[in-house]
Amino acid sequence: MTTGTVDDVTTSEPLIVLESVNKWFGPLHVLDNVSLSVGRGEVVVVIGPSGSGKSTLCRTINRLEPITSGSITFDGQPLPAEGRALAKLRSEVGMVFQSFNLFAHKTILQNVTLGPIKVRREKPAAARERGLALLDRVGIANQADKFPAQLSGGQQQRVAIARALAMQPKAMLFDEPTSALDPEMVGEVLDVMTSLAREGMTMVVVTHEMGFARHAANRVVFMADGQLVEDAPPTEFFANPRSERAKDFLSKILTH
Amino acid sequence: MRTKRAAVLTAVAALALGLTACGDDAGEETGSGGSDKSFAAGSTMERLNEAQAITIGTKFDQPGFGLKGLSGQPEGFDVEIAKIIASELGIPEDKIEWVEAPSKVREDVIVNETVDLVAATYTINPKRKERIAFAGPYYEAGQNIMVKKDDTSITGPDSFSDGTKKVCSVTGSTPAEEIKQYVKDVGSQLVLFDTYDKCRDALQGGQVDAVTTDNVILLGYIAKDEESFKLAGENFTKEPYGIGVQKDDTEFRDFVNDVLEAAFADGSWQQAWDDTAGTFGAELGTPPTIDRY
Amino acid sequence: MSVLIDKFDVFASGFWLTLQICFLAAIGALILGSVVAVLRISPVPPLRAVGTAYVNIFRNLPLTIVMFFAAFGLPALGSNADFLRIPGLDIVFSRLGTDLPYFRFGLIALTLYTAAFVCEALRSGVNAVPAGQAEAARSLGLTFTQNLRYVVLPQSWAASVVPLGSVIIAMIKNSALIGFFGVVGDLSATADQLTSAGGEPFIPVAIGISIGYLIMTVPLGMLLDRIEQRQAVAR
Repeated sequence: MTTGTVDDVTTSEPLIVLESVNKWFGPLHVLDNVSLSVGRGEVVVVIGPSGSGKSTLCRTINRLEPITSGSITFDGQPLPAEGRALAKLRSEVGMVFQSFNLFAHKTILQNVTLGPIKVRREKPAAARERGLALLDRVGIANQADKFPAQLSGGQQQRVAIARALAMQPKAMLFDEPTSALDPEMVGEVLDVMTSLAREGMTMVVVTHEMGFARHAANRVVFMADGQLVEDAPPTEFFANPRSERAKDFLSKILTH
Repeated sequence: MRTKRAAVLTAVAALALGLTACGDDAGEETGSGGSDKSFAAGSTMERLNEAQAITIGTKFDQPGFGLKGLSGQPEGFDVEIAKIIASELGIPEDKIEWVEAPSKVREDVIVNETVDLVAATYTINPKRKERIAFAGPYYEAGQNIMVKKDDTSITGPDSFSDGTKKVCSVTGSTPAEEIKQYVKDVGSQLVLFDTYDKCRDALQGGQVDAVTTDNVILLGYIAKDEESFKLAGENFTKEPYGIGVQKDDTEFRDFVNDVLEAAFADGSWQQAWDDTAGTFGAELGTPPTIDRY
Repeated sequence: MSVLIDKFDVFASGFWLTLQICFLAAIGALILGSVVAVLRISPVPPLRAVGTAYVNIFRNLPLTIVMFFAAFGLPALGSNADFLRIPGLDIVFSRLGTDLPYFRFGLIALTLYTAAFVCEALRSGVNAVPAGQAEAARSLGLTFTQNLRYVVLPQSWAASVVPLGSVIIAMIKNSALIGFFGVVGDLSATADQLTSAGGEPFIPVAIGISIGYLIMTVPLGMLLDRIEQRQAVAR
């Protein structure tokens, strides 16, 4: 995990930089000239209506989605092409998916230790010890020997976070981490994310949880139709959105 | 020619059946089907004659004997012999239904009465006689060996006994079984394909040293390519070809035998050969002795 | 039906030869098919193209044509498939080591043809694994081979094993063609040997041959049913 305080790291060179990124899915322009930089220790929440390209944006950062044009750099290095260098970069960027994607044939503990053992070549005993500590931290240590299907959605998502953290990533990407959860389980996952944010983890979070955006984000990015429309601190964005589309979006979700 | 043959054959057949006085009007029956022939009541001959139809099993893939070509009708020596028999039953050519009788089902189609007779390069042997009966023989083939023109190392089946020469034949054929007695190791010397064409290709390509089967088939290949192939020695088996009929139908078998003997006598047998397998250059020789058992 | 007893040795040797070629071809096809499957799902486009081309060719040609190419094309190219004369293996599988190449040609044809179907059975299993599994593995930094080995294949195996079994059963039946491409004495050819040349009645011989094939295929089919049931329970 990144050490140091929020204040001293945000001043240095940004960790993630997207410059004029375009992405087409056939005729569909899903990312339209998007530029964004995320500083070390910064928590950026990406919001926007569905189909706005926010998930795609999140997935381009570790190249799960290749881009059509533009550039993305991570920790000063342009994203490499498919291969070992890219695998190494991905090992430094944790990712949490909407549908958890825990390895169905492995136990909870094995899910958490697979990366450290196979990618980082850590000793199994050491990986196991740290895995258990991480599971303890997300509150699932007593489920270590169960299989994913035996856990609730909220528990699975917390395991998924522990799995990503086990790689000791420089940044974490969250792609709608609570969208597939039953409402009563959303809180437990957001709690873990909030504590991560407090500890200074660099995070890009695509979410519909405005509460999380308000109290955990350093910046809120609003996307619509593949464009990055607004980029502002949460207090400013929620109190005084500048664009019509943001106003419209906020009015729709906040009236409920 | 046809008229004369029909007349003679009709006369002979009639005599053989102990009937008289049909010879004179034989000339008028050509083309009309000959329904005026009369046979013993209840006999197969009478039934077929009454029905004015006969079903005959033959090979559709045997050049010179029974080969169904572009004409859609089988052609060959077996087919001509069968036509002679049908004609003597008073059944015209166009009333014959030809059925393919590959080697493995020849007994079955007779036993099951799918066909009335089988003329299909059908070697008479005791095992087959357990289930069906043979009229004839009408031809005596023999197994031989075809080699490349310049090969002097193979002189007969005994050349395979040292275990080095490779020989090709067709899966499940009598020649394939026969040659097994001469080769030292079947697995490393015998090659079997579904057709002799492939054997010829393998011989041409050098994968095998010889092809073995009945002499007439080999002569067919040699006739097409005399520059490349030759026979190695004499026939080393006797394969008398017979007409397969129902086992217990001695009456019908005798009738067919009579027809065959008449055809031997009047030249129609020789003519059938000259028109078909004889074009490959093989000699028909003297008629074989009909085996009335 | 006495032919079944009288000619038992003929049936038995045919059975043994068919079993030999099927055993060898199954192993060959599983190995080659796995390689082609890996090519087909590889992230490298040229490798994918090679894998796809392989499957498109060998899955869409009749086996007789593949056999024909093996039995007549290889010798034309000057090959006797001598690389299959594997020392040691030819003690049990004696036909592998003979001067006559047709057993090896048949084996090659059967292996090449079946590998295309093995590939597709494996790939259908891989496709049955949710895409998120491989994505999660990639996001952890696993390489393509690690991803396959630790995440995708262990899960795809369950979905592959039944179609794979069907492929092998089909292969056993397909092996009946080798008797028409130079190989002497496989189970199917014994039928021709006994009926055409031996004058035995066709139906009892066909029954005997059928029993021979069923001895090979039925236990395999029952095994697959068991596996399928166990999977259903596990789900």
